[in-house]
Amino acid sequence: MNEQQTLQLETDIARLESVASAPAILQQLLQILRQPEDEIRIENVAEAVSRDAAIAVQCLRVANSPLFGTRPVETVNGAMMVLGINKLRSLLFALCMHRTMPADKWVLDPVSFWRHSLGCALVSQRIARLIGHSDPEKVYVAGLLHDIGFLANSILYTAKFRECLHYAVEKRCPLHVAEHLVLGFSHEDSGRLLCQRWGISEDLVEMAGCHHRAETLPAAGVVVCLVHLSDLLCRLRNLGYGYEEILAVSFAQYPAWTRLAARYPALSEIDLVSFTIDLEASIDEIASFVDSVFGVPRRTAWHKS
Amino acid sequence: MLTDTTKEKSPPAAGIGVDDPAYIAIRDLIYKVSGIHHSEQKLYLLVSSCKRRFQVTNVATPSQYLDQITKAPHRDAELRLLLNEITIGETYMFRHPAQLDALRDVILPEIMAGKTKIGIQRLRFWSAGCSTGEEPYTLAMFLLEAKEKYLVGWSFEILATDLNSRSLETARAGIYGEYALRNVTDAMRRKYFKPTPDGNLEAGSMLKSLIRFDRVNLSDDSKMVFLKGIDVIFCCNVLIYFDLASKRHVVRHFFANLTPGGYLFLGHAESLFHVDETFCLVHFPGTAGYLKPSGPRAGGGK
Repeated sequence: MNEQQTLQLETDIARLESVASAPAILQQLLQILRQPEDEIRIENVAEAVSRDAAIAVQCLRVANSPLFGTRPVETVNGAMMVLGINKLRSLLFALCMHRTMPADKWVLDPVSFWRHSLGCALVSQRIARLIGHSDPEKVYVAGLLHDIGFLANSILYTAKFRECLHYAVEKRCPLHVAEHLVLGFSHEDSGRLLCQRWGISEDLVEMAGCHHRAETLPAAGVVVCLVHLSDLLCRLRNLGYGYEEILAVSFAQYPAWTRLAARYPALSEIDLVSFTIDLEASIDEIASFVDSVFGVPRRTAWHKS
Repeated sequence: MLTDTTKEKSPPAAGIGVDDPAYIAIRDLIYKVSGIHHSEQKLYLLVSSCKRRFQVTNVATPSQYLDQITKAPHRDAELRLLLNEITIGETYMFRHPAQLDALRDVILPEIMAGKTKIGIQRLRFWSAGCSTGEEPYTLAMFLLEAKEKYLVGWSFEILATDLNSRSLETARAGIYGEYALRNVTDAMRRKYFKPTPDGNLEAGSMLKSLIRFDRVNLSDDSKMVFLKGIDVIFCCNVLIYFDLASKRHVVRHFFANLTPGGYLFLGHAESLFHVDETFCLVHFPGTAGYLKPSGPRAGGGK
């Protein structure tokens, strides 16, 4: 991306706020939900959620879905209890971000997008726990937010971004590669600027801006490396962007992997074959969750439909 | 392919006689001759295989049966029949489509590029533990279809081996029912099979001529060392029967059997984690394979 493109993108991202802005509660929720699980006070979350009627209603709808039992839930507080902090965290982020997107601007299939984002959050957090990372909750949020730049590109450059998707589907290549070819920049660039504007912490800004570039950045942080690897693992196991990519990945030879392994020796104790098989078992859970949040009818073999 | 049908059987109730020292001796013998290891939890599978042979051979006790497989004149024949019982399984064609996608999208283009440079247009595949033949026939169909598209001008050979001579007979006959053919399209059935009088389908000569069936014991060094120049090995749900030492031994052979740049595919949930450090694990969409590196390899598909 050259200087002129960067300036243009910055101007466009600033303009984005008049098209779609982060809901007022997003920043407050980010603050609350980034804390470790046992430090989050559910009443604080409930209070923030109660200030936004639409989100409160959606929380109630999900809490009353078959996924969470049969007892009727009537209060926001009750819904928070039923959902539990982990599910609540992902639900609230997804709802906030989803609300920034006008319905006619979706270029990616929203179900695929959310399954990928939630899948990446789950996988990043799972690896973070396995290797003994000090803040798996932050890693979860990073996984969930990593592709937020896709939303900006969908809103700002709808036709061009559609072209990117068509190119990627036809060539079966990674979407960010198509973005660089068609747009001259990728969702990493717009994601970084968007996160900066929203006042999201620096390491998450770096993650949104470099998660496909962890290989080439000698100083890429642990969170970037974790999200980079998790993004690949998801795309390898039916949690991609809704089309079939050609991928061949030797994790052990990836700089992101070796860098992480040097710092966290426990990484080398993960049997990646078993790990990816276990991930497959989680796909249904992620799919049910996304479907219940966005009210999408349950489909099987969704990636091929 | 030995398949995972054994997993569906439940461990029997106590009192079946798994503690009988003769079964331990049989277990050790089976391990010695085949590398197949029955752990404490899997011993009941060996017991039920032996008991099926008790009926046929008219013996009443495990120690009598031990005599059958250790003493002349029946020793070799009966041991082979017992191995047949132990390694029997049921499977179907196109069971692992993700492996074939990886072959089509990544592996064959890589291997073909390397071979074209040195003027070779021949590919060799090995279905190690082919059971009743579903896997090699799948591979034959896949390759014949590819030959019409991107493998034009290439020739190939499929070696299909198993320890179980009864399975190999079935594989050579190539006659299959609906269960084995459940994933084979009507067009492929018409193209590659012919109907039999009893309503099954028999693989045609186009398929059979591509496959060479042979009985190979993966623990038999004298045979394993002669298998060279293989491009891709499929060994699905076979190594699960081996203990760590035998697994390592077989995998070392596989490494030697493969050409540099060649791949080993195992069953869906099988892993060489802590078994082997020489192969390079490569993940593809929906599956993973083990590459015999031909030089330093940077990870692709970022």
